[in-house]
Amino acid sequence: MNLNRKLSLAALAIGLLAVAGEVAFGQLLVHVQGPAPNLTIFSGTPTGGPNPVVNSNSRLRYKKWLTPTKITVSTNCPGQSFNLKVVATGVTVGLAAPEVSLVSGTPGIDFITGIPAGFLGQADATLKYTATATYQQGNSIDFGNDIHVVTYTLVAQ
Amino acid sequence: MDGRVTSIACLLLFLASAGSAQIGSDNHTVTVRVAQITTLQLNVGSVSMSITGVGLQAGQDTMTAMNQSTMMLWGTNLNNVKTTVSTNLASPRFTLKARAVNNTAGTAAVERVLSTTPGDFLLNIGRSQGTSTIQYTGVARAQQGTGVDNHVITFTVQSQ
Repeated sequence: MNLNRKLSLAALAIGLLAVAGEVAFGQLLVHVQGPAPNLTIFSGTPTGGPNPVVNSNSRLRYKKWLTPTKITVSTNCPGQSFNLKVVATGVTVGLAAPEVSLVSGTPGIDFITGIPAGFLGQADATLKYTATATYQQGNSIDFGNDIHVVTYTLVAQ
Repeated sequence: MDGRVTSIACLLLFLASAGSAQIGSDNHTVTVRVAQITTLQLNVGSVSMSITGVGLQAGQDTMTAMNQSTMMLWGTNLNNVKTTVSTNLASPRFTLKARAVNNTAGTAAVERVLSTTPGDFLLNIGRSQGTSTIQYTGVARAQQGTGVDNHVITFTVQSQ
């Protein structure tokens, strides 16, 4: 197989990945790992309200791209009753944005910014979720659980 | 030649993808559950009241003493609940009454004589947090003589 042929096949492979990037290639560039976080608020104090609960059991793996990029976060949670925040910790490439409040239906909010250009360089961060609630917001027996589909998106910066 | 064309075409596609705003994404499910939570505290562990009869005028039989040194603090995410109050002292020598005053939420029940049967203290505190001053009033009559009543008083949040 001559060099031209090899280059063609390599380019074809990359091209196909790029075209199919909506799903498979997209997840190759940004991938959530670990068990689905499950946060249960079960105690509280009279003056402080229900005690927040933290979960840091999942991670985000992402790759550098040909241009500078950033990662945004958004959620879809119909009928959201309680509060959920997330922040990136242990970020190996880029800069963690301040803690983000996840509100269903709002556009993507900066999560990790300043990811420099590169080609598929591996990076990762821990996803630190914090669930909070007020007494006024009630409980899951009355209102059901909040089930968020949290999406992380790599976009050009 | 064909290979070069293919290469160029694919690289163009690749670069086009690189130039788009959204380059890749992934998601996962996060579940938030909030249990039924109710908490209640008293800021003072004990209260002492002395009915001394100071200021009592001749011919007057009823002597009283009042105390507002204790505050009840609560928080609950349950709907439609109230607090009740009771004492462990089944046969007190003197009368002890309690009432909620200066409430930041809820509705005070009428002043009640404490007994071993829980009685309403503060109503309509569902899904709220707040404070209430507990106003104790001790009452003695001359014929009840002297002595000491030791109460253990319990406040409870329950369905209304």
